[in-house]
Amino acid sequence: MQDNGWNDFEIGAMLRSFDGAVSDIANTQQEDRAYSSSNSFTASVADWRIEKPVFNKDFCIDCQFCWIYCPDISIIARDKKMVGIDYDHCKGCGICVEVCPTNPKSLLMFIERADEDKALTEWPSKEEK
Amino acid sequence: MSGNKKIKNLKEFSTSADRFEGANLLCPGCAHSIIVREILNATNDDLILSAATGCLEVCTAVYPYTSWDASWIHIGFENSSTAIAGAEAMHKALKRKGRLKQPDKTPQFISFAGDGASYDIGFQWISGCFERGHNMMHVVLDNEVYANTGGQRSSATPIGASATTSPSGRISYGEKKNKKDMLSIMAAHGAPYVAQIAPNKWKDLVKKIQYGFDVEGPVFINAMSACTTEWKFAPEDTVMVSDLATDSLVFPLYEIIDGRELNITYRPKTVVPVEEYLAAQGRFKHLFKDQYKHMIKEWQDRVDAEWEYLQRREEARV
Repeated sequence: MQDNGWNDFEIGAMLRSFDGAVSDIANTQQEDRAYSSSNSFTASVADWRIEKPVFNKDFCIDCQFCWIYCPDISIIARDKKMVGIDYDHCKGCGICVEVCPTNPKSLLMFIERADEDKALTEWPSKEEK
Repeated sequence: MSGNKKIKNLKEFSTSADRFEGANLLCPGCAHSIIVREILNATNDDLILSAATGCLEVCTAVYPYTSWDASWIHIGFENSSTAIAGAEAMHKALKRKGRLKQPDKTPQFISFAGDGASYDIGFQWISGCFERGHNMMHVVLDNEVYANTGGQRSSATPIGASATTSPSGRISYGEKKNKKDMLSIMAAHGAPYVAQIAPNKWKDLVKKIQYGFDVEGPVFINAMSACTTEWKFAPEDTVMVSDLATDSLVFPLYEIIDGRELNITYRPKTVVPVEEYLAAQGRFKHLFKDQYKHMIKEWQDRVDAEWEYLQRREEARV
């Protein structure tokens, strides 16, 4: 997108979320939508993160607490299953880790540059209460 | 026919396709987007939305991006409610004239506004909409402060909170006035449905929103939105702080139907002392100094009295 000066903007602006005509967005998952370049879905806030959540599906019980409480639509849930994390839109707030009820947690925060496969091997074991 | 989803449990709810997109510029851990997602996911109907100036608006419509996958409009600080009321009136007129392109569809009209844009600045406009009886829903994202402009007090700021225009210090314990009882005011307009919701009680939230969609007439929803920046807690604690707010009865969840029938929809199993809610937030930090300690008791007494009053109103049905 080209850079505009402050006086180049229109007074009223209309942005289209999708390219072309769309119907029934409420039943179309993100991967099937024709996003336009002015939809913030095409942008990324990955550089906001200091820590990132890492998902370990071995312990996940698909309760979807992380999905409902994620403020950034970054928990990908399909067919009632937790699939993974959308690292383009995750801001690293850590809510998903806080609300995860399993023992040990199936989501944990690691520093941004940590390798995911290595993080999975360092996963803590079950905590005795 | 309304397109409310049938939602029995969270797994079923999680099959929803979000109509609110990521990479908006809301703070990490902001409750605004949790509330917006839960509301938009409650229905399959087409949506016609507006937002007043505030965190939600400036962060989701940063030129050249939009985060909304539905018709969305922003005009001014005060008139998100009238913008939607105008759209609703136009929809009604076009329907009567038979000029709607999709006459079988019934879109939902929702206006979002912060507490500043509803309690203070946009109050007259909301009052007008409710008096005229538009078929719309007004959702207040109540973070009890003008968070977008740097944390000035609004008339939703509770007593004792430190805001930039009512700071705490040697002389003052912060905000001196208590929060305005907006729900009673809106119920007194004769609104068919008025309710208070919190993002951490998603089932209660979805139930109330769906009731609001089904009802004919203006609906007022007050949503507690814990603000990590201005309430001063860590971003990951949003849900924890919201839990404390609902469990300590600082933010009781109830609804008022037709201005008379008050129902308390959530009764905590164990009521948490208000002190814990205050201690979780930096904006009440000064209340724990010896000088202002009396405020904590005052808080507890007031919350208890309000809860008692709500229960009496629920019994009395007046």
